[in-house]
Amino acid sequence: MTPAGLIRRGKSPIGIGAYAGLAGIVIALVSTIWLGFNSGSPGVSFGGFQVDLFTYFFAGVLLLVSLFVAISSFDFMKRDPNTAPYFGLLLLSTLGMIVLAASMDLILLYVGWELMSVPTYALTAIRKNDPNSNEAAMKFFVLSALSSALIVYAISLTFGVTGSTNLQAIASSLGTITPDSRAFALIAIVLFVAGFGVKMAVVPFHMWIPDAFEGAPTTVSALLASGAKMAAFAAAFRVFIVGFSTINVDWYSTFAIVAIATMTLGNVAALMQKSFTRLLAYSSIAQAGYVLIALATPFTVTRDPLGLAGGLFHVLNYSIVKTGAFIAAAAVATRLPVNTLDSFIGLGRRMPQTAFNVMIFFLALAGVPPLNGFFSKVMIFTGAVYSPFSWGGYLAVAALINSGFSMSYYGWIIKRMYFDDPGDSSKIPEPKAYTSVMWIATSLVFIIGIYPDPWIRLVRSAAGSL
Amino acid sequence: MAVPTFLFGKKRTNVAKLLGVGTTATVFALSVIIVVLFQYGSTGFQFTDTASWASSFGLNYVVGVDGISLPLLIIATFLCLLAALGSRDMISLREPEYYALFLLFETGIIGVFTSLNLILFYVFWEVVLIPMFFFIGIWGGPRRKYASLKFLIFTYAGSAIMLFGFVALYAWTGSTGSPSFDYATLITRAASLTLPLQVAASLATFVGFAVKLPIFPLHTWLPDAHVEAPAPVSVLLAGLLLKMGGYGLIRYNLLLFPAADKLLWPAFTAIGLITMVYGASVAFVAQDLKRMIALTSVNHMGYVLLGTFTLTSVGVSAAVFQMFAHGLAVGMLFLMSGYIHEHAGTRNINELKGLRGKMPTTTVLLILGSMAAMAVPGFANFISEYQVIQGALSVAYLYGLAILAAALTVGYFLWMLRRVAMTPPAGPKNELRTGPLLILTAFLVPLLVFGVYPSPLLGSAIKPTVDHALSVLFPGGK
Repeated sequence: MTPAGLIRRGKSPIGIGAYAGLAGIVIALVSTIWLGFNSGSPGVSFGGFQVDLFTYFFAGVLLLVSLFVAISSFDFMKRDPNTAPYFGLLLLSTLGMIVLAASMDLILLYVGWELMSVPTYALTAIRKNDPNSNEAAMKFFVLSALSSALIVYAISLTFGVTGSTNLQAIASSLGTITPDSRAFALIAIVLFVAGFGVKMAVVPFHMWIPDAFEGAPTTVSALLASGAKMAAFAAAFRVFIVGFSTINVDWYSTFAIVAIATMTLGNVAALMQKSFTRLLAYSSIAQAGYVLIALATPFTVTRDPLGLAGGLFHVLNYSIVKTGAFIAAAAVATRLPVNTLDSFIGLGRRMPQTAFNVMIFFLALAGVPPLNGFFSKVMIFTGAVYSPFSWGGYLAVAALINSGFSMSYYGWIIKRMYFDDPGDSSKIPEPKAYTSVMWIATSLVFIIGIYPDPWIRLVRSAAGSL
Repeated sequence: MAVPTFLFGKKRTNVAKLLGVGTTATVFALSVIIVVLFQYGSTGFQFTDTASWASSFGLNYVVGVDGISLPLLIIATFLCLLAALGSRDMISLREPEYYALFLLFETGIIGVFTSLNLILFYVFWEVVLIPMFFFIGIWGGPRRKYASLKFLIFTYAGSAIMLFGFVALYAWTGSTGSPSFDYATLITRAASLTLPLQVAASLATFVGFAVKLPIFPLHTWLPDAHVEAPAPVSVLLAGLLLKMGGYGLIRYNLLLFPAADKLLWPAFTAIGLITMVYGASVAFVAQDLKRMIALTSVNHMGYVLLGTFTLTSVGVSAAVFQMFAHGLAVGMLFLMSGYIHEHAGTRNINELKGLRGKMPTTTVLLILGSMAAMAVPGFANFISEYQVIQGALSVAYLYGLAILAAALTVGYFLWMLRRVAMTPPAGPKNELRTGPLLILTAFLVPLLVFGVYPSPLLGSAIKPTVDHALSVLFPGGK
């Protein structure tokens, strides 16, 4: 079912243009939600595809991100001749992300990975005459290609050790592994961590993120920050929690250390940024650290996937909020430079709608209740404390201190927008394409935050279906 | 109510004022009904209301009132009403936003004092934070930007650590039945945790509450925030926001972890004592009337910490009563400092010389308010502070040092009054109108009533609840 829908989606924009692309996304999103509600509990698998609630969940999140990006691109691409290719690439990339989330086979996973990555290189460089855009695309391409190479190598090692590329088969053969081949499996794990790590933007593979986000068109940054990153997380959840669950290697604590490094570096560096997009980039690195905690402590003592569910919930919340924040940056960028924080002085008066939405997004990112980010964070932290590992409590403390610390730069921007007096307090027109996306995102922030129960149930079943 | 206030008030600021004041008045009336219907002498939670909220993760909407939260609930609604009335005179900028945030704040503060689910409590706790950030940042004094950001970062970081205590409780008590955030469930389970876990959770929550209370050395956000905030907001800050810390200390820190209490009480009471003396000492050198009043809060909230961790019935009840009395006294002083600032043009204590020439009636009220804060017999503050010290002395004679803080308090208040009120009258008369004077007098009524006859509140509401809670907490005595 899903692949049929996916192919239709992929083809739709060629020559038809932006509206067809948008329609494709909407149809896909609606069908995903509809199919998700009617999906059976064990899920359907055929070939390398595994279509379960986990797949539907990620497909829904990724399509939502892609929808936000598409709507806001209407204004962004207004004077650009490359509208049709732009939307085509956007849809192709989204298709790749969904294949990635649906793949139960490493070969298919790699196909999805490339299908997701290649269009984003072109999207990053869509402004051919802008040197920043080209430089960002180049940096992004080199590192991303490296990550693909690492993943291919990891896949081949895994195949060598287990004789299979199916994750479930891998899991069953890794349980009875000889010490000799265990070393190779270990190398495969390291390579997977590094390969996924580049896209997930975890320390120490995060360097490209701020540069790429700053150089790329802001709407594309939104796609990279929310879509590509979360799809990489989906792949990592599949590979590690399904494939490597049985191996007697403590990759959990590796993720815990990486998570702490990622959160801390992201938050500290974000505080020092003078450019808004770079600040968003570092804050997205910090947020990736929180999701990593879910990978480090997916299950509680009673094998309840609480941490994993929290991670999925955070994927959803983060995607909504971060896309919204980047779109807001794009709205500001229509008139003011976003490579400086001074543009945000007095924005509360100059662009009241944008400023209000940025405030809500930032409070949600900082984890202020009753906004959506709070509940996913609480679930992740509870999962960490409740995990069978003795270091779970320390991990949660580190994460909470980080979360508290992150308020300093979010609060700093809010202060700039609302408390500081702008020298020039003239109103700036706010394009409808942007504000409508922001208001949709903000209302989702409130809807999920005020009544989180159905969403928590959803992510719990999605986590259970993995 | 906050949203309609903002929307209706956008066009006509009068509507915003009316809705703001009207809502707070209605809420106060409702809380009076609760006070009347409250079953005095019974120890459990009353007026409980339960609804499923996010039960798939142990989150439920559970609220209720007992003898500890009742006095705080009533001053919360009372102070909100008076502060809203006071705001009509002092806030003239962006009023729709102000009253909308004001009602959001009131929602949060009432939620904090009544919620019986840890995450619900945390949600309300943070709902209080954001309006306060904007109050200080938009309507504050000259250094408002610095003060508001400092306030936000301090308290947010503190509450993040507190949240660790909450999630840890959920996880660590999960082995004895399905994990839950409900207070009623946790209070039966937390006591059976091992000592290291209790100490860890107790310290984590302590940090969160201590920042709000505030204790030395986590208090530095307080003078800045209080001084820069507009006067009605200072009333809310000192009168209610600090009480959240004290309430949390009693409700969660004290009553959930008996083994940790027995181990940590000397440290906590020592911190309380240091806070009391420190607050009083720095209040001596404050030149700004408002800063001085802000620092008295540090001084007086030390009593709450000291009383709570004497682990005696007298001490804990007095700590609750102290929050009630201090909220009223300091609320009155802050609101008055705002009026004095408007009418006399300065808040500098030395420049206020001869105030009784300018504002004779206000000066009388200032003296009365200071007497309440000094804990002169006849005011409710006397009873609470006396009993805190009594409770502390019953534990160890060393706590007689607390008398020192009380003496210092009297010292700096008298010195302030000597400079402001006992100087020859000067200047043209510029007295407050009757309305503001009535508002200020309203603070004094409960202070005097409960100062003379405290037993309806202290004897029949607070004490039975505390007695019962402590007997459950330490079944074999302390």
